[in-house]
Amino acid sequence: MIVKNVRAYYAVGSRPDVKAVDGVSFSVREGEVLGIAGESGCGKSTLAAVMSLTARPPLNVKGGEMSLNGQTFSLIEQTKFPRDWHGKLVALLPQRAMNSLNPTARVRDFVVDVVRAHDPTVQPRAAIDQARERLEQLSLPARVLESYPHQLSGGMRQRVVAVISTLLNPKVLIADEPTSALDVSSQKQLVLLLQLLLECRFITRIVYITHDLPMLSNIADRIVIMYAGKLAEIGTTHEIVNNPQHPYTQALIASTLDPDPQVRERQREGIKGAPPDLGSPPSGCRFHPRCPYVMDICSREEPPIVGEEERFAACWWVLEQSQKTRNKETQR
Amino acid sequence: MTRFQSYLLNKVLWFLLAFCIALTLNFLLPRLIPGNPVDVIVGEMTSGGTLSGEVAQKVYAAYIAQFGLDQPIWMQFLFYLRSLARGDLGISFARSPARVQDLISQALPWTIALQLPAILTGWIVGNSLGVLTAYKKGWLDRGVFPIFMFISSMPYYCLAILLLYLLAVHLTIFPVAGGYSFAMTPALTWNFARSVVEHYILPFSSLVLIFIGGQSVGMRAMSIYELDADYVRYSRSLGVGDNRIIAYIFRNAMLPQITGLALAIGSMVSGALIAEIVFSYPGVGTLLFSAIRQNDYPVIQGVTLLIMIGVLTANFLVDVAYGFIDPRIRAKQVGER
Amino acid sequence: MTVMTQERARFKPGAAWLTGLKQSLAVTTLLNRRLLFSGSMLVLVIGFGVLGPIVLGRDNPMKTVGGLYDPPSEKIWLGTDNFGRDVFTQLMHGTRTSLVIGAIAGMEAILIGLLIGTMAGYIGGVVEEVLMALTNVVITIPSIVILILLSIAISTRSIFAMGLIIGLTSWPWTARAVRAQTSSLRTREHVDIARLSGAGTLSLVIWEILPYMLSYVVMAFVLQLNTGILQEAALSMLGLGPSNTISLGQMLNWALLWESVRTGAWWGFAPPALFLTLIAFSLLLLQASVDEILNPRLRKA
Repeated sequence: MIVKNVRAYYAVGSRPDVKAVDGVSFSVREGEVLGIAGESGCGKSTLAAVMSLTARPPLNVKGGEMSLNGQTFSLIEQTKFPRDWHGKLVALLPQRAMNSLNPTARVRDFVVDVVRAHDPTVQPRAAIDQARERLEQLSLPARVLESYPHQLSGGMRQRVVAVISTLLNPKVLIADEPTSALDVSSQKQLVLLLQLLLECRFITRIVYITHDLPMLSNIADRIVIMYAGKLAEIGTTHEIVNNPQHPYTQALIASTLDPDPQVRERQREGIKGAPPDLGSPPSGCRFHPRCPYVMDICSREEPPIVGEEERFAACWWVLEQSQKTRNKETQR
Repeated sequence: MTRFQSYLLNKVLWFLLAFCIALTLNFLLPRLIPGNPVDVIVGEMTSGGTLSGEVAQKVYAAYIAQFGLDQPIWMQFLFYLRSLARGDLGISFARSPARVQDLISQALPWTIALQLPAILTGWIVGNSLGVLTAYKKGWLDRGVFPIFMFISSMPYYCLAILLLYLLAVHLTIFPVAGGYSFAMTPALTWNFARSVVEHYILPFSSLVLIFIGGQSVGMRAMSIYELDADYVRYSRSLGVGDNRIIAYIFRNAMLPQITGLALAIGSMVSGALIAEIVFSYPGVGTLLFSAIRQNDYPVIQGVTLLIMIGVLTANFLVDVAYGFIDPRIRAKQVGER
Repeated sequence: MTVMTQERARFKPGAAWLTGLKQSLAVTTLLNRRLLFSGSMLVLVIGFGVLGPIVLGRDNPMKTVGGLYDPPSEKIWLGTDNFGRDVFTQLMHGTRTSLVIGAIAGMEAILIGLLIGTMAGYIGGVVEEVLMALTNVVITIPSIVILILLSIAISTRSIFAMGLIIGLTSWPWTARAVRAQTSSLRTREHVDIARLSGAGTLSLVIWEILPYMLSYVVMAFVLQLNTGILQEAALSMLGLGPSNTISLGQMLNWALLWESVRTGAWWGFAPPALFLTLIAFSLLLLQASVDEILNPRLRKA
């Protein structure tokens, strides 16, 4: 799956549009988990909405296209997409899934609605059986079908939502902060479930959006770092965690807690400053007001992509560093 | 005890408490008149010429005996309760020797036949309209809704008067008064039935319109609130159709509406009674109206008691229904880790 | 819980009122069309009722000026009622009476509601349970019944007496809303500071909690005013209106008793009915627009 040049803005009355996502492109290979990391307000949830084809006004998609399953289509005007795409092509695993289930309906009734929305000829019985079979394959108790949401624990609800989202075997699952409201053991169970879903090939790709970088190091194959609506860095998990290039990535890694006491000794405080107002973002590189390596050019011009498609950082300083290294090498 | 059972018990206790208070108030309040109430009332009547001296004596004696007005207040209360237990509401002052309970039981069926369907229809249609208006927006929200908002803020009798004038007097489509044609006597014939229906339409319509208006305004606000809910966004993201989502919203927004219904029943019933007066409909409302005009205290007290009990019972039933419908109360705790 | 430095721990009486007023005023700058419309309607109606008789010199609504149900004419703008009295003058005086009774009832309801609501919300515990139980009982028992029973018990129904008994039965709504607000305000920091500085319960409520409820109180007053006017009209329609004066409901009562509808004398019932509807509608619209301002979510639709 490939997304190109997604731009999505919020219309806020008379004030200028909030550019939540401003030119984001990446790809997700089959069988892969791509992590998208960033602070709150960097635009990741907006990106999730756009990718899961659920963007509605006041969120307006201004540009971008998606290639998936052999077809390429524009991401603008999402309300006009065929309903079939929702859930079969792309599926969303929403944040706060505990509240995403209708409190006055049993789980099995909701399952029936979802299945029949895509194929009205399916009998309710058959839909429920389909769900039960899937639950068994994933080693989850079948009795959740008979329950109302409030009868299930938070962690269980999240897993049920994960199962329902993937019931129709979508090509890609967009998981938007799926674990942020869970306790640690529930988080682990959810992650195991997601990995199992991939293994059984019920879904073929996962885009995992979170602010929790350590979580990504457990589950993601590749990581994309987002800041203020733009991509800061992209690379494999190993590369990002052990060799972060972008100053923002470095700061993110440094500000996470590490159980290793030696690492903890080197901890700094969190990143200075606060995420920018996306209605009037900083000029040039959006990170420049908070960057420890800021240079003159950073406030004037947007940074270039330094590196290749699958491994780059968008930073003037990184460019300078790599030029210095190349100069040193040619000098030798 | 399950959650539902304790909920039910709670509601039953409330009902009993409110019932006792209602009885006591019904007994006490009119006795705030200083002096002997029967004296004053009968005296008024004889001087006004509505009762002859002899009949007045009889009524007077009957009341003193029945209510033991020379007895201390707590004994009077016991008499009162005793009579109530027998279903005896006393004798009407103005239409003696007619008994209050007979007058009421004659008028009651008309009122129930009018109000019950009106409240039910108004509730169902009004809430459905509310959800649709909130979800579909467009012309429903801009055109139809403000009309309903206007109608629902009208006092019931105002709409009743308006409809009566426009459709019965000005345009003579509908009959102008009564529960059935004055020329007829009640009988199980088609003619009579048709006359009843004819006379029923206007009062029914005026009530239903206002109920629909009121419910739709509230339901629309509730639905707008629900539209933002996570489950709506999630269901949409999985491709679930609009009709199903509207059903979800209805079910969820309906819960606070049921509670609201319980609270509003009191005013709905009283409003409907006053509307009866406009149409001279032979129900409890008209009975009350004439009783007030004639200072017929026993009838007034009988009717107010009836209204109180009726509203309390309706309240109780609605609360029970709520317990059934809200799965959080009804479903047993399963619990799961 | 933030650390309280020396400065912040100083108790500043009256500061809450300043902030509360500023907040309420900021909210009112979000005037929308509905608010202006309903507000101006109300002002017109009030002007009509209160100033009308003085300006037009019609101070006696009971004077006979014509025959039974004379239709509107050049001199008698809205015709005469069943007793030959000028309907237009009656309308002015009737509006005034209805508004006054509604205002008395509304203010009483607000006072009682505030008292009970703040006590319940602030003190909590058993006091709250008892007060809320009382409120629930008053809500469940239909108020019209209590009003009827009380009205037939008093010998003369003066304007004041009517306002009094109506207010006595309509306060529960305010009490509930106020209690909810008070409960949530009670946990605020400035309240803690004031309490630690030794302020008594009553002064705490008046100085630290009430200011932040101003907008709610205004909204509640609008609703209580509406209830008061409508309840008076209902009572008058039943024949239990104010004894010596005329009110809008009273006019309707006479119109019904004397068959103005069936004889087609629309000027007998239409003016009071229209005015009642107008007042009720304006008040509800006013309340809805203030509600929209306070609850941004409703604004979107």
